[in-house]
Formats: sequence, structure tokens, C-alpha cells
Amino acid sequence: MTIKNLVRKPGRTTVLTLLTAFLALAVFGGSVVVLSLRSGLNSLEARLGADIILVPSEAQSKVSFQNMFLQGTTGAFYMDASALDKALEVEGVEKAAPQTFLASLKADCCSIKIQVIGIDPEKDFTVQPWIARSLTRALGDMDVAVGCKVEAGIGEIIRIYEQRCKVVARLEATGTGLDTAVYCNMNTMNQLLKAAEEKGVSHKMASGDAVISAVYIKAKDGYDIDAVNSQLNSCVRKATAVRTRSMITGVSDSLAGVSRTVTILIIAVWLLAFIILLLAFVLIIRERAREFAVLRLLGASRGMLARTVLLESALCGLLGGVTGVGLSALLLFPFAQLIESALQLPYLMPDVINVVWLGLGTVLLSVIVAALSSVIAAYRLSRVDPGSALREGN
Amino acid sequence: MRKQSIPAIILFLISLTIIIGSQSFLSPCVHEDGTFGPCHWAGQALFGVGCALGVTAVLALCVNRARFGVYLSAMPLCTLGILTPGTLIGLCHMSTMQCRMVMQPAMIILFSVALLCALTGAILSARK
Repeated sequence: MTIKNLVRKPGRTTVLTLLTAFLALAVFGGSVVVLSLRSGLNSLEARLGADIILVPSEAQSKVSFQNMFLQGTTGAFYMDASALDKALEVEGVEKAAPQTFLASLKADCCSIKIQVIGIDPEKDFTVQPWIARSLTRALGDMDVAVGCKVEAGIGEIIRIYEQRCKVVARLEATGTGLDTAVYCNMNTMNQLLKAAEEKGVSHKMASGDAVISAVYIKAKDGYDIDAVNSQLNSCVRKATAVRTRSMITGVSDSLAGVSRTVTILIIAVWLLAFIILLLAFVLIIRERAREFAVLRLLGASRGMLARTVLLESALCGLLGGVTGVGLSALLLFPFAQLIESALQLPYLMPDVINVVWLGLGTVLLSVIVAALSSVIAAYRLSRVDPGSALREGN
Repeated sequence: MRKQSIPAIILFLISLTIIIGSQSFLSPCVHEDGTFGPCHWAGQALFGVGCALGVTAVLALCVNRARFGVYLSAMPLCTLGILTPGTLIGLCHMSTMQCRMVMQPAMIILFSVALLCALTGAILSARK
């Protein structure tokens, strides 16, 4: 009888289903976005790995580090490679690893620049563990590992400054700008720097000098990182030490803001939809009073009538929940990259199992809310006096 | 309005979105230097498939007897539309590019919905 009631009143069923679908869409969509932002921040923290980054003094005026790590903005700045040895001499420095950056003129695949990052696989402790998950050996000369957003398959050749580089690994997603970069060893980087110089891209250092762009530093346990940071600033000339924590704090603050807004929106949508559902069911009482009076006269018990109303609303909730979650998934997953670009924050989708649980939870919540909002209607309809209800109709 | 015509109307609206979208808000990447990347040709192909789908939708609205066949013929067109961006014609090599970020997912969704509509239309026409 419940299903027949729903089928015979398609208008009413559609409105109730759409309302719960809207609820489910807001909850599932909002939760996935918030979870993705949180995983993105965790991933950024894990990928940075270092406590301090030492860069040339002019670097901060040239490019925003936050943009480099979050949006993959290209940037290239250089300092003498001796900065690495000087950094290692500073007390409290446990590990230091150099990286060299180079922005490609234009990848032959598309019209945007890509960031090429040269690492020393033996010293590196930030990118190398990440590369090691996809490549068991060290990066060879003219081998490159590409971030997951660079659409190049393993074995494919990509050309950077007319140099042919072989893709040997595709790295796992981090949800940050690091996904758009290409990684190589220092020999490859030196060759690319030479090729760039031949193309007229100067790195402002005397030809033949070994150059690096940044030194990633891990402080020894027990040492005050701020003190190490200050010492690096005073000991290494023409370089600035930046605490990675300061970068993450900025991102974390933005993320907290977005999370708060999304949460408030979800609560507002739930409240609004709950009130609308409640009103809808109360209005339905008047419309269905005669129908229920006839059922009472035919011998239906009060409990049976209450159960019918509750079951009808729960079914609408189920249908709406599934529709809402499906619609939300259809928008969120294919357009994840677009959302990431719009938010300009680290954005890493949660894994499939979490998404499935979240979807199931949202559907369950929709069923419960739909059933709860019909409780008053169920109670009043089950107590309808058949005689007066039928007389009122006449 | 007959039940069998509803999928044709939706199909027509989708094809209109594809035709207009492939030339505007769902267009492939615009290269600053005026050159064309592979995604440009994918966009052109999608425009063509969208036009063919539009004609099929109009036919499904106009003809009565052969409606089942018209809906059937729309299905391979939709499949072609799903496979064109990225599988049959390559796109730019960076996920952050407009063609991969917007055009590909939007077109796949639109053609998938169109495929469902064509399937529904075929079932409704066969039942008649």
C-alpha cells in the first residue's frame, strides 16, 4: 500500500523526494569537500617534510612559495651551491638537501609552463621517499618522474628545452601544486640548465658555477627550530631561511575558514529542509484526512496508519538520499580539479572506502530526517476521527 | 505530449548544450600564441557529434513509426561522444588545463545522460 500511495501521487512524491535529495546533496557534497581539504593539508605537511627552507634572498620577492606549493606556479631562482655546505655547518641542522628549480618555456604538450625540480636522490628526504613509492631505483640521467597531473605515461618521452627526457615514474597524488611538477636528478637538471641557457634563459650565475634553488633543512630533535632558522639567516649570506610551518599555518587558516563556512551552510540547509518537510507533512494531514478516515472505517488500526505515513516518508527519504548522493558524486568527482583550482587550497579526494561510507551515512541520515519530520503527521493522521473527517469533506 | 517524445526533447536540449558548450563555456584550451593543441580537434569533433545528435533528436520528435530505430541510432553517437575527448582524440598533457578540467568531464556526463535518454526512448518506443 505504501508504494502504491507514492506511485499514485507522483507530484507529492517528487516534491518530498527532491527536498530530501537537496538535503543529501548538501551534506554529502559539503562533507566530501571538507574531507578533501583536510587530506590535502595533511598531504602538504607530509610532502614538505622539512622544518626550514633556505632560498636566495631575492626569491621571496620573485615568487610566492605558498603559490608554488599549492597551485604549481612556476618559479626559478638560484644561489651558489656552497649554501648547502654552509647550512650543514650550522648547529642544530640534522639533514639538508638541495633542490634546483627550472621553469620550462612551454611543454610541447600544452601551452603552460611546467616546473622542473632537480633533486639529489642520495640526500633528499622530502621528494625521494615519495618517488620511492613509485620507483624502486634511483632516478637515472635524463630520467624524470612526473606528478600525477602531468598526463604522460611511463616510458613516454617528454621534451624540455629540446632535451628528450624519459618518464620512468608517475607519482601519487598529493593534492598540491607539486602534482604538476617534473622531477629529475641533478645531472639531468644541469643539462637542462645548459640547454635553457642556450635558449637564452639565463640563471644569472657565472657559467660553470654549480647552482641550487633551495636547501630543505631538517632540524635536530631538541633544538629550537626558530633559533636554527635565525642562525641560518645570519650564517648563510645572500640567503633567507623560511619556516615551513609559517606556510602551512596560512593554508590551515584558509582551510579552517572554508570548513567553517561549509559546515554552517550544511546546518542551515538541514534546518531549512527539515522545517519545509515538517510543514509539507502537516499540510498533507488536511489533504489525507478523508483517505485515512476511510481506512479506519475499513478496519485499519491506528498503528498501521502511523506506520504507513512513516514508511512513505522514509521511502521518500531513501529515494531522495540516493538521488542527492548520486548527483553530488556526479558533480564532485569529475570536476575535482576544477574545484581545487577554484578553492586554491590543497585538495585531495578521500579514498573510495571513506566515500562509500559517507554516501551510506548520508542516505541513512536522509531516511531518518524524512521519517522524523513526518512523526507529527503520522500521530495526527492515526488519531483522525473517521466520522468528523468524512462530514468535513461533505 | 506522448511519453516517447520526452526523451527526444531532453536529447535535443543536451545536444544543444553540447553544440553551444563546445564553442563557448565547455570549449577546449585557448592557446595564447594562436596555435592549436590536440584538444582543439577534440572540441571540433564534439561539435560535430553534438550536431548529429541534435538532428537525431529532431528526427525522433518528428517521425512516428521509425522512432525506435532513431533512438537506437543515437546510442552509437553518444558512445562516440563519450570516447572522443581523451580516448579517440588526445587532450593536453596537464590535468589543470581547461580541456581536461572542464571539457572532458562535462562532455562525458552530457553524452552519458544522452545515452540514458536514448535508451529510455528506445524502451518506451518498443513498448508502444
